[in-house]
Amino acid sequence: MTNNYFEIDNVSFAAGGNNKVNNVSLSIENEGDIVCLLGPSGIGKTTILRTIAGLEKIKQGTIKLRGKTISSSNTHVEPENRNVALSFQENSLFPHYNIEKNINLGSERVKDDKKILSKDIINFLNLNKILNKFPHEISAGEAQRASLARSLVSQPDLLMLDEPLSNVDQSFKEEIQVELKQILTNSKITTIIVTHDSYEAFYLGTKCGIILDGQLKQYDDPYNVYHLPNSVEVVNFLNRGILIPAEVTSPKSLENEDLGTITGNFARPFPIGSKVKLLIQPEDLEHDDSSNLKLEVVDRKFRGSNFIYTLKTISNKLIPVFVHSHHIHQHEVDEKFGIKRPIHIDHIVCF
Amino acid sequence: MKFNSWYLSSFFVSFIVAIPILTVFTSFFQETTNYFDILKNTFLLEYIYNSLVLLFGVLILTFILGVGCAYIVSFYDFPGVKFFKWALILSFAVPAYIYAYSLTAFFENFGTLYSILKSLLGPGEYNKSIPKFDGMLGAILSISFSLFGYVYVLTRASFHYQSQNLIELGQNLGFSKYKSFFTIILPSARPAIVAGLALVAMETLSDFGAVSFFGIATLTTGIYDSWISFDDLAFANQLSFFLLLFILGLFFIENISRKRAQYHSPVKGGIKEKKKVKLNFSKAILSFGFCFLVFFISFLFPVLQMLYWTIIFPKNLFDLNTLQLFGNTIYLVFLSSIVLVIFSFISNYGNRVTKSKFLNYLTTFSITGYAIPGVILAVAFITFIAWFDDTFVKAFEFNSIKKIFIGSVFGLVIVYFIRFYSLAYNGLKTGYERINRSIDESSYLLGYSKIKTFLGIHVPYLKNSIFLIGILITIEVIKELPITLILRPFNFETFATTAYIFASQDLLEAAAVPSLFLILIASTFILITSKFILKD
Repeated sequence: MTNNYFEIDNVSFAAGGNNKVNNVSLSIENEGDIVCLLGPSGIGKTTILRTIAGLEKIKQGTIKLRGKTISSSNTHVEPENRNVALSFQENSLFPHYNIEKNINLGSERVKDDKKILSKDIINFLNLNKILNKFPHEISAGEAQRASLARSLVSQPDLLMLDEPLSNVDQSFKEEIQVELKQILTNSKITTIIVTHDSYEAFYLGTKCGIILDGQLKQYDDPYNVYHLPNSVEVVNFLNRGILIPAEVTSPKSLENEDLGTITGNFARPFPIGSKVKLLIQPEDLEHDDSSNLKLEVVDRKFRGSNFIYTLKTISNKLIPVFVHSHHIHQHEVDEKFGIKRPIHIDHIVCF
Repeated sequence: MKFNSWYLSSFFVSFIVAIPILTVFTSFFQETTNYFDILKNTFLLEYIYNSLVLLFGVLILTFILGVGCAYIVSFYDFPGVKFFKWALILSFAVPAYIYAYSLTAFFENFGTLYSILKSLLGPGEYNKSIPKFDGMLGAILSISFSLFGYVYVLTRASFHYQSQNLIELGQNLGFSKYKSFFTIILPSARPAIVAGLALVAMETLSDFGAVSFFGIATLTTGIYDSWISFDDLAFANQLSFFLLLFILGLFFIENISRKRAQYHSPVKGGIKEKKKVKLNFSKAILSFGFCFLVFFISFLFPVLQMLYWTIIFPKNLFDLNTLQLFGNTIYLVFLSSIVLVIFSFISNYGNRVTKSKFLNYLTTFSITGYAIPGVILAVAFITFIAWFDDTFVKAFEFNSIKKIFIGSVFGLVIVYFIRFYSLAYNGLKTGYERINRSIDESSYLLGYSKIKTFLGIHVPYLKNSIFLIGILITIEVIKELPITLILRPFNFETFATTAYIFASQDLLEAAAVPSLFLILIASTFILITSKFILKD
């Protein structure tokens, strides 16, 4: 018997009679943990949140919060009795109340000794200037922050945020991410965040879940999700590398016809002689002008702190490589680009 | 599907409203006296013919008046245009039957026009040269001037939402104003015009007061006569069935047009303010003249006629128990408004909470009640109560329930409820459509129960809608005639029934006082709501 704070056991999530995500099992071990769910639009992430909130019912499996079953095929605790908060992606503020009243409504059922100061939350979410305004008088980003504030002050047993920062200005986003994480951690509010921004998920999440093709494909620490993706689908979704053919030559090496020998630690063991697909991520290869392994530049993207070069191999594979933007010189398209040898990758991920 | 209390309440409300429609359909197959055969061979064709002549006459006239006024006030700038924009909707305050009394009073032999001519020109044989607007022509004029407001309001809204770009496009293509009107403006307002005309058609076919005053035998008066004069309720229901089929056809046309009319709603970000064309002096005079003429004939003329009679026959004013009539009218208005608002709220919220398709279909079916003439509703209600009383109440040897429902304020309010349910339901539905469902869900997640969400979130948010609906119901109940006439308790009169009773006894000058009060009260409420009715 486990003592997880929150647990989903073999639940299929459906909206409007259509199954969206099937046979999901995941757990949140400790109070105050933050889980981020990542996946493409329309895959059913919001449906999962709505179901946990009690706005949709389930036909199979169990959802438990604090050891108590809140949803199963024959149990359904009504949303108002779950003490679960959901901050919707769209504006769900009460239109006839001003922002201050909307936020304060969130703390109505919280006992005085447990109340988080709404003033602090209002400050951190920069809502002071709009407190007396009505929902139709504010921007989408402001509405989203006000909705977030209302959910935060409600001190729920489980907080769920549906794309909480999707309408927030990029300049303000990182600042909010930092403070949001701080406030969630300090107040020990267990949170599930749905987002399509992998950086946001990796930063905020204690764990990340990747939902693809109607399934929870991977549920793990953000580091592992990024460096040790467990399927080709997850690799493709994160869009952070490419798969190239290789042959396993020893327990710590493999051979690719374009890159030669690659050494490192295998995430999962493969028999020697196996033909595999090797994941190459942009940071796996290093640039070296003096190297004799030269590949042709087909594209160069400037990303502020770095460049991502796309290189073409002899067998016409396109490989991404990071280069610090302070690197002494830039390579133009069609020029040759040197790759440092020998190639060593800490985590060798093969499929 | 969970049959919770919201589901059952909503189902109950919609079912009650659907009863008259079901009654009319089931009664079609009942046996009647041989009156049906007599009528089938003689009067039925006349009923249908008269109904059709009346219908087309009214449609043509309301189209000209409604679209003409809407076009002038929407596209042109001339002195008085702002006044006419709202003054033209005052015609809603004059029921067709009161218009009919005014028309007759003014043009009849030795009537008001005769008196005017006599006082201006001295005694003479003026009666021969004064035109007579009675019979079918009188009915068409009365109903048209009373109902053209529907076409005016909907068409004006459609013209208002027409994109300025569309009009400028016509100018860029070198279209004349005449060509722009017929190739761009009118076709794009077509759904709104059709919706307005369909409403006019339904009201025309339902009209009882004006046609019975002018002695025109239509399907509606036939229903009333077969029940009152021949005591054949089954035949009344069979006639109702024919009329209902006719009206349901119009209802669907109106519904389809209304859906299409939504395409003319303003786009996101608002619409470009339409530039009104400033008219030169002669055209401004013509436009002012047209609008003033319509305003005068549709509103001032009946008001002045009634006022004139009230002044020259003051005895009628003092003889009339005005306070009592006012009290009765307001009593009915108050009860109906409360009942309609409460039950429409329950039904709307029930539909919203349960998300049941069946309930949604049932509600859609039941709100067709607004298309059913008051006479049919009243007769169907009596039929149902009689059937229920005979089949269930008497079978179990209980006391008859007929007295509770027939000839009582209780029964009257129930039938008002059925008649005006769609007005209240749709009014609230429009308000509800503006409340995103995630607002309800947020409320639940903040710990609010369904009833607390309803009372704490929805009711305060929809208070403007409730106010508007309350006033619209008030206007309708004040004007309502056939249901009140058939189902009112003994010696219980309203301004509408008093006016009708005097008029049916040829005491038009006595009918003037209640008619005047009725128009004044209805006008006041229309002015209060004009901001909403003409909402841009």
